[in-house]
Amino acid sequence: MDWTAIRLLYLSELRAALRERSVLINGILIPLLMYPLMMWVMFSAILFVTARTESFASRVEIAGLPAEHRGLLERLEEEGRIEVTEVDVPSARTAAAYRTGIEERLLADELDAALIFEATPDGPQGNAAVALMSNGSSDQSQTARGRLERALSAERSDWLDRIAGQHGLEGAEWRVFEVESNNLATGVEMGQFLMGMMIPLFFVIMIANGCLYPAIDSTAGERERNTWETTSTLATRRIHIVAAKYLYVATMGTVAGALNAAAMVVSFRSFLGPLLARLGNGDGSGFAFELPLRSLPVLLLTAVLLGALIGAAMMILAAFARTFKEGQSMVTPLYLLVIFPVVVLNDPSLEFTPPLAAIPVVNVVLLLRQAIAGNLLWLQLGITLLSNAAAIVGCLWLASRVLRVEEVATGSFEGNLFQFLRQRLKPVGGKA
Amino acid sequence: MSTIQVEVQGLSKNFFDQARGEVNAVSEVDFVCRSGEIFGLLGANGAGKTTTLRMISTVLQPSDGTARVLGHDVVREPVEVRRNLGFYSASTALYPRLTARETLTLFARVNKYPAESTKDRVEEMIERFGLSEYAGARIEKLSTGMKQKVSIARTVVHDPPVLIFDEPTVGLDVLNALDLQKGIQELRDEGKTILFSTHIMSEAERLCDRIAIIDKGRIRACDGLEGLRAATSHHYLEDIFVHYVTGNDTPA
Repeated sequence: MDWTAIRLLYLSELRAALRERSVLINGILIPLLMYPLMMWVMFSAILFVTARTESFASRVEIAGLPAEHRGLLERLEEEGRIEVTEVDVPSARTAAAYRTGIEERLLADELDAALIFEATPDGPQGNAAVALMSNGSSDQSQTARGRLERALSAERSDWLDRIAGQHGLEGAEWRVFEVESNNLATGVEMGQFLMGMMIPLFFVIMIANGCLYPAIDSTAGERERNTWETTSTLATRRIHIVAAKYLYVATMGTVAGALNAAAMVVSFRSFLGPLLARLGNGDGSGFAFELPLRSLPVLLLTAVLLGALIGAAMMILAAFARTFKEGQSMVTPLYLLVIFPVVVLNDPSLEFTPPLAAIPVVNVVLLLRQAIAGNLLWLQLGITLLSNAAAIVGCLWLASRVLRVEEVATGSFEGNLFQFLRQRLKPVGGKA
Repeated sequence: MSTIQVEVQGLSKNFFDQARGEVNAVSEVDFVCRSGEIFGLLGANGAGKTTTLRMISTVLQPSDGTARVLGHDVVREPVEVRRNLGFYSASTALYPRLTARETLTLFARVNKYPAESTKDRVEEMIERFGLSEYAGARIEKLSTGMKQKVSIARTVVHDPPVLIFDEPTVGLDVLNALDLQKGIQELRDEGKTILFSTHIMSEAERLCDRIAIIDKGRIRACDGLEGLRAATSHHYLEDIFVHYVTGNDTPA
């Protein structure tokens, strides 16, 4: 092997690529900045909406509040952001008209929520049927509803305690059982679970994205720019030229994947973590986004494997294109083919079994998910390595066979890979 | 005595074209080129000039016959052939995102010019072709004339003994074309063997030491201008060309 020529051509491809805006955007900027930017926008938007929602006062009307439940008004006052208007209980004759009026005011955004108490004829004094009315299409009305529900629930609980007390029962006796929710997963484990679901998915997308432009640019792009003939007069074997181009494509894919994974982890830690803590009432105990150190080599390995595999497959398809546009239409189906199983199989209950470890791309996603969760399944890791290595070797073998054909190398073959294979595999006609 | 640098024997190229079926682009072409001469392939468009030169430069594989450059067979030793050859044509473009200096360095190194002398050689080429002002600019930013100079510089940067110029003046204005012709003559004077294809009679007349007239993929005649004149009793190359291609003499 002429490693000097391969190195020189590889570096020259990389240098040229880094001066191309499309490569920089698709291979470096998008993987690196897209998720932090997306999460920052999401974080800011949610905080803005939350702050806005929390700051306004809910306009609430309460009708027919029984004397036994005057405590409800105190609770609402404690809430501090509720303007209560209290009205008498409507008579049976005017009840329907009153409800219609409330509905109209809710829909017209003149009122955020209403509570209508109707005393029940049976049962102890103070028992009532309560109608809580709100407008589900209004954010303010939904917030008002939430505030009322919390106050009502507390009032109801106190009321039940008082009634039970009158009957000589303690709270624990009439509640029968209390539910205590206990999540055994640590914040780190929950963070790893969430990262394991999201990082592999975008990782594959970004590697495919990172390979896409270089694969087309280094094949169809060369023909379109008329530089293919120039390159083919270089004093090195054609296979070395192809090797340099392939290494360049695989590098771009690998770099895109690695940068994306790093950006995702940073985004989770810097934006999603604080956001989830904030939404969980500042509890902060929910998620901690920490990547286990031993998952880093696996992440790098999977980036290399996927970059090498997707890069090789894309170059084979793009080798038949004579223009960049043709290249895009030939390679895009593969891009979708790679992403499709990853999206479909992004099921947290899916177990990483040895048979699944034999399916290229899918195995990489599952391996990465396990690694992020801190589990390394050595058998599956071995099968993943072997199956992807076999797929890469297969692609490179096919590429070397394809590019050995002069019509393909010079761009005079009219057709795509499948037409080429059909032609080559067609039995030669002879005498019967 | 000058030595044979390029030897072509029975060189043929057939290919399949969907519209035309089996096409014999080049048929049993024979010629030799010696050191220090400009050998011209003169023919109309589609006569087989470019296909012949592409086979000699190993871009295309011959269907039949052989070609050797400095004794190296184009099929069995393509890397050796390319190392001893500089190939220039109007269709061999440059890498737009590299600078002129980077392009020359890449071609010198990959074409096995000694690594320790590459820098000096590249600067020498930059100086010789008047590229100093633009050496650090990307090729895509250069004018057509400047690109052409860089292209010639990259053809000769590894100092190959044999140079192929395939219709090099196509698309150039008169001054640039004359400049290029002067450059080719200088290279010949340095002892390079030059294969030059053209369909422009005046260019062949001015530059070539020997001329092969090619038509429909076959060599119809091959000699120096005086020899062709003597053989056809015509003075002008245009008339000589018509004589061999049509088989008739041009009307007076």
